[in-house]
Amino acid sequence: MTRRLTLTIIAILAGFCAARGSEPGMAAIPATIYRPLFRAEKAPRDLPVAAFQLDVRPVTNGEFLVFVRENPKWQRSKVKGLFADERYLTHWAGDLEPGNARPEQPVTNVSWFAAKAFAASQGKRLPTTAEWEAAAGAGFTVVDGSTEKEFQQAVTLWYGTPSPALLPDAGTGRANFFGVRDLHGLIWEWTSDFNSALVTGDARGDTGLERQLFCGAGSLGASDPGNFAAFMRFGFRSSLRAGYTVHNLGFRCAKDL
Amino acid sequence: MKALLGVLLLATCVCEGVEPKTALLPPCCRVALDLGNPTDKSLYLLDSTWTSDVGRKIKLGALRGRPQIVAMFFSHCEYACPILISELKAIEQALPAEVLGKVDFLLVSIDSRRDTSAELAAFREKRQLGRKRWTLLRAESDDVRELAALLGVNYAEDARGQFAHTNLVTLLNADGEIAFQQTGLKQDPALLIAAIGKAARGAQR
Repeated sequence: MTRRLTLTIIAILAGFCAARGSEPGMAAIPATIYRPLFRAEKAPRDLPVAAFQLDVRPVTNGEFLVFVRENPKWQRSKVKGLFADERYLTHWAGDLEPGNARPEQPVTNVSWFAAKAFAASQGKRLPTTAEWEAAAGAGFTVVDGSTEKEFQQAVTLWYGTPSPALLPDAGTGRANFFGVRDLHGLIWEWTSDFNSALVTGDARGDTGLERQLFCGAGSLGASDPGNFAAFMRFGFRSSLRAGYTVHNLGFRCAKDL
Repeated sequence: MKALLGVLLLATCVCEGVEPKTALLPPCCRVALDLGNPTDKSLYLLDSTWTSDVGRKIKLGALRGRPQIVAMFFSHCEYACPILISELKAIEQALPAEVLGKVDFLLVSIDSRRDTSAELAAFREKRQLGRKRWTLLRAESDDVRELAALLGVNYAEDARGQFAHTNLVTLLNADGEIAFQQTGLKQDPALLIAAIGKAARGAQR
């Protein structure tokens, strides 16, 4: 208990220190405490996340077009099969022709490798899962979204609704407490350590097969079984591979503060 | 005369079956073949740098030319990894001689912090993993994360320094493409052994 209190105080202090200095198009996310949905036995319940900055909206088709123009090896016809599967950028008309894909829409059908390469080209990186979740936990008007009913309802609604065939533009979602948009309600997003998610056949993690599959799986347990949206993200991430591309999976970039 | 002496010495070594420990390097660290550009789905397209337990820095492409039986592990593992290593050794025992002469085993550590090349060398000794066929590698955590993401190995570290991770054996063909994968421990290895036999026919050395 004392330790948790100390962590919280540190987080608040660090938060004040970090409240400045984000780049244009990015929002400062103060240091915080992230409570993983699943954690290994004896793993800390609360993970400190250092202050960082996060793009206020996902990367768009328009931005990705500039990137592939400057980095031809990431063009659709040139990308290596190892780094992106055959659906990579299939919603575009050609290597450098987005076709019906509007420049303002979030870019999707991009692999983890492509997202990483884009971020590096901007002098940025992908957010870690802890960072992403820390930013996404904020409500519209309060730091802790779990206390805001309106926010909870909006989030649950999206995770229960199929993606529209035509994605809305990036940046049109309501800003959260930190000024970040579209963390919920637009697309799924890559994180740098998406493959740290270990999910078992059922939440109790006690089926024989799954125990053989994962070292330590029997000791995993959910910290907040009521958080449906977090379950969805956790399951989604654990099913991904680095070369996969999905029609409603994109990304945004992060950077140290 | 000198050449003759050399031949005699070499012959002595071979005859007596003494393993010249200092001379024999693991598969990763021998002279690489020039086989042109890797294929579209070859893991050997990765440009990351890895360090072997013998201290040598390599690119994964150094393993090209022979099928690799790959597993990710960490040397401080208390639960599943010891079983995984034992199972790989059992597969090594089970392979027919003509196949065994054409495949290698590759162990990659997910514990970048503790598994230094010295730790890996100690692990090789402890588990009796011969240099003839076994390569042990480490790399920086981002590079490990990348390889794991390609293989489909998920992992996370807990507070005790134990990693929860997917137990997965991957067979890479001679070109470095994923040819077969077996998940989980204590599975019937028949399919994996058959796949290894098939991949061995494509060995280029």
